[in-house]
Amino acid sequence: MINLIVIVASAMMLAMLLVWWRWPAFRTWIEAPKYSMLRQERRFDDRNETRTSG
Amino acid sequence: MTTPGQADPEVPSVEYGLIRAHVLASLGTLLISVAFGLVVATKFSVPEFLGGHAWLTWGRLRYNHTQGILFGWLGNAFLAFIYYAVPRLANRPVSSRNLGWLLFWIWNCAVVFPGWVLVAAGFSQPLEWAEFPLVVDAFVALAFILMVFEFVLPFLKTRLSDLYVSGWYIIGGIIFTMLAYPVGNVVPELVPGARGAAFSGLWIHDAVGLYVTPFALAIAYYVIPATTRRAIFSHFLSMVGFWLLFFMYPLNGTHHYVYSAIPMAAQKGAIVASAYLGMDVILVVTNLLLSLRGSSGTVGRDVPLRFVWFGVVSYLLVSLQGSVQALMPVNRFIHFTDWVIGHSHFAMIGFASFSALGGIAHLWQRIPGTRYNERTMNWSFWLLAAGLTLMVADLTIAGLVEAQLWRSSAPWMESVRAVASYWLVRTFSGLPILAGFVLFWTSLVSGPTPSAAVAPAASREASESIPALERYALTSHEPSSTGRFGYVHVLIFGAGAGFFALSFLALAILPGKELEDEIERVAPVTMPTLTESEHRGRVIYGREGCAYCHTQQIRSLAADVRRFGAPTEAWETKYDYPQLWGTRRIGPDLSREFNIRPRDWQLTHLYDPRLVVRDSVMPPYSWLFDGSPNRPTQEALDLLAYIETLGRARQLSGFERQALGSSVQPETADMAMAGEPLARATPPTVPIAMTGGYSLSAPLLHPASDPADLQEEVSRGGALFAANCASCHGTTGVGDGKASASLLPKPANLITARFSDERLSSVLWNGVAGSSMPPWRQLPTEDLRAVVAYVQSLHVPSAVPPTPEATSLNEGESLFAANCASCHGAVGAGNGPAAGALAPQPTNFHLKKPTPERAWEVLENGLPGTAMPPWKSQLSIDQRYALVEFVRSLYGPPQENSRQ
Repeated sequence: MINLIVIVASAMMLAMLLVWWRWPAFRTWIEAPKYSMLRQERRFDDRNETRTSG
Repeated sequence: MTTPGQADPEVPSVEYGLIRAHVLASLGTLLISVAFGLVVATKFSVPEFLGGHAWLTWGRLRYNHTQGILFGWLGNAFLAFIYYAVPRLANRPVSSRNLGWLLFWIWNCAVVFPGWVLVAAGFSQPLEWAEFPLVVDAFVALAFILMVFEFVLPFLKTRLSDLYVSGWYIIGGIIFTMLAYPVGNVVPELVPGARGAAFSGLWIHDAVGLYVTPFALAIAYYVIPATTRRAIFSHFLSMVGFWLLFFMYPLNGTHHYVYSAIPMAAQKGAIVASAYLGMDVILVVTNLLLSLRGSSGTVGRDVPLRFVWFGVVSYLLVSLQGSVQALMPVNRFIHFTDWVIGHSHFAMIGFASFSALGGIAHLWQRIPGTRYNERTMNWSFWLLAAGLTLMVADLTIAGLVEAQLWRSSAPWMESVRAVASYWLVRTFSGLPILAGFVLFWTSLVSGPTPSAAVAPAASREASESIPALERYALTSHEPSSTGRFGYVHVLIFGAGAGFFALSFLALAILPGKELEDEIERVAPVTMPTLTESEHRGRVIYGREGCAYCHTQQIRSLAADVRRFGAPTEAWETKYDYPQLWGTRRIGPDLSREFNIRPRDWQLTHLYDPRLVVRDSVMPPYSWLFDGSPNRPTQEALDLLAYIETLGRARQLSGFERQALGSSVQPETADMAMAGEPLARATPPTVPIAMTGGYSLSAPLLHPASDPADLQEEVSRGGALFAANCASCHGTTGVGDGKASASLLPKPANLITARFSDERLSSVLWNGVAGSSMPPWRQLPTEDLRAVVAYVQSLHVPSAVPPTPEATSLNEGESLFAANCASCHGAVGAGNGPAAGALAPQPTNFHLKKPTPERAWEVLENGLPGTAMPPWKSQLSIDQRYALVEFVRSLYGPPQENSRQ
C-alpha cells in the first residue's frame, strides 16, 4: 500500500514537472500568483499610507 | 490602477480589531503556556515545587503547557495573520465580522481557558496533543467549521488559479485540520489499545503537519516577498512543496510507534513517508531561501523577516532531524528520550513560534494604529534564539546519555541521575525564552506612535529594483494568464483529499483490521476485564499524566525486553479505552508491573516517591492520601488497583509458555521486527532483571581478601548503598530509612546480624519475596560485590559475646525442634515443611547470625509483616535465652555446624 502511495505521489510530481517543462504557458500561469500577491500588497499599503497621511 | 496617495476604493476591508484581539490573546496565552512549561521543567529538578496540590501537579501542567501552546498561542497568532492575509490574497474581505468575533470568543472562552480549567480540575484525555476533554474538542471542531465559512469561502469566490501559495496553505490547513482533528481526539476513545494508537499516531503528526506547518509556511511565503518586495523564487516549486506536504504528512504518524505491536507494514510505510517528507522540506526551504537571495541585508535589518528566516532554517533542520529519527537504527536508540523533547521544542519554538512571531511583527507594523519598538524586538529575537539553541542542544545531549544508559544494564535511576544536570540547564534555558516572549510583547505595546512611524512605503523605493516582468505584474489588473490550467489545482486538491483518506486506510484502518484479527486469534478467552475500582484507577492514571512519563509499550528490542519484559502484544490492550502507550520515558515502562512490588511499597511510592527511591523525580501524590502512606484514600487504592493490573492478563494466561524453550541472550542484537512471531513469543513476560535472567543461580559474591582492596570495595559500596538502599535501610543501615515507616515487613537492620556472602549474594540477586526488597541483578557484579563488602562492614558484633554453655545449647536445640523447625527446618536452614508457603521465607541461620540482642528482640516481639510470631508469652526467659544461644551457634555451613 505504502509503495503504491509513494509511487503515485512521485508520478504526480513528475507529471507536474513534465507539464512545466513541456508547456511554457503553464509556467507563466503557475508563476503568476507570486506577482499578483505583490500587487495586492502594494494596493493595501497604498491605502494604509493614504489613511496615515490623511 | 491607482497612484500612491490615492485610495483604491476596491481594496477590501481588513478586520483590524480582530487582528489586534487575536494578537493580544496569542501573547497572553503564550506567556501563560510558557509559565506552565517552566514550572513543569522546574519540577524535574525540584519535584516538590508547587507540589501537594492536584491542580498544580506535573501531569496536569504538562497537558496545559502543550495545549496552551497549540491552541492559545499558535491558534490565536495564526488567526491574527489569517485575518491580515485573506483580504490581500483573496481580494475579498473575510466573510463576516460578527462571525469573526464569535470565532474569537469560541476559540478563547470555549476552548483555551475552559480547557485549561478542566484539565487542571482533572477532566482530560491522556492523548498526546489531544489532552483537552471531549467537550472542548467539540468547540474546536466547531471553530474549524466556522473558519471554513470565514476564510475559505472568500477564496472560493475568487479565481483559484490566481491564488498565491499562502492562500493554498491557509485553505489546506483549515480543511485538513478540520478533518484530522476528530481522528486523534475521538477515535481513540472508541477504538481500543494498539488499534487506537494507530489513530493517535496519525493525529500526533497531523497536529504539526496539517495545522502548525501550513499556517507557519503561509506566513513565511507571505512575509518574505512582502518585505523584500520581490516575488518568491518559484511559485511552481512552492505548489509542488505544498501538495507533497499534504500528500506525505498524514502518512508519517505511525513513526511514533516503531517496534510496537502495530503491523510492520504500517511502521515501514510511515518511515518511508518520513524520508519522502524530508525531501519535500528541502524543496520548500530551498525555494524560500532562494527567494531571499540578495536580501541578506534586509534579513539583518528587518526583525520580522529575521524571525521568519530563523523559522525557515529551523524548519529545514528539525524536519531533517525528524526524517532521520524515524529510521529504525536511530529510532531504536533515541525514541522515548529527551532527544525527542528537544526535537519537539525545536519544531514548536524554532519553526512554528519564530514564524508566528515574524508574522505578527510584520503585520503589526502595517496595520493602522500600531507599530513595534525595533530595539526591544531585536533583543527579543536574540534572547529567544539563544534560549532555544541552549535548550535544544541540552536536551539532545541528554537524550543521547539516556539512550546509552537504557541500552546498558544500569538501573533505571542511573539514567535519571545522569541527566539531572541537563534538566537543570533546560529549565534555565527557558528563562531567556520567557524573557524573549515578554520583550516581544513589550515591543508591540511600546512602539512609536503611528503618525510618527514610517509607513511601509518602502514599496516605491524597492520597486526601482523590480524586474520588468514583475513590474508588469504589479501594475496589471488583467489575469496574467488564461485559466485553462485552472483545473490543475482542483485536480490536485482532489488528490490531496484522496491521500488524506489513504493515510487512514494505510496507517490506521488496514493495520487496525489486521490487529483485530490477530487479537481474535491469540487473545486468551479468560482475559479479565477491569473491575470498577481498577477502571476508576485507570481514569486517575490518565488524569494525572502518568502515561507521559511511564510508557505501557515494551518494544521488540532486546534492551526493552531485558529491562521490562516481553514486548507488548496487541491483545493485551484490547480493553484499553483510550490507549495509554505513551511516547516518553522519564520513569520505567509499567507494562509488567503486576506482582512486581508489594502494595505497601507502591503506596509509599505514590505518597512520596523519594521515600523509597532517593533520587526519583516523580511528583508526590499526597492528596490521594489522608496524611500518611498508611492512610490511602479510595482514589489511591483505585490507582494502585489499576497499576497492579498491568501485565496481569499476560502473566495469568501463561502466554509465554508457547515458547519457553528459548530465552533472550544478552549478546543478541536488537530484536527482529515486531511482525516476526518468533521474536514476539520468545521472551518471558516479566523483566529478566526481576525474575529470570541469563542465569537463574546467584553468583557468589566474595568481597576482596586483600585489606586495601576490601577498603576500596567498602568505600564504593557505601556510595552505592547511599544511592540505592538508604531510603529503606537508612543511611546507617539500621532499617530506619524514610520509607521504613510504611513498609511491612520493615527493612532489615543490617547492623544487628552478620550476613554470609552467600546470603547477601542471594538477596541482592533475587530480592526478598514478600518484602519490598527488589532484586538488584542489573547492577554489575563488581558493584554487587562492593555492596556485600559494605553491608558486612556495618555489622557491629556484641561487645562481649556470650559463651554458650553446652546445657543451654542442648535445651535450645530441643526447643528449636519443638517450636521452630516446622518453618526454619530441622537444621535451621529456613527450609521447614511450612517454609514453601511463606513469604518472606524463614531465616536460614547458617547464612545469617543475629546479635544476641536482635535475636532476643525478635523472640520477644516477633517480626511484623512476616510469619514470625512473638514467643514472649509462650517461652520463659531461660528458654528464650537458650534459643538465642542455639540459633546463633548455627552460623556456618550446616554439615560442619549441625548438632544433629
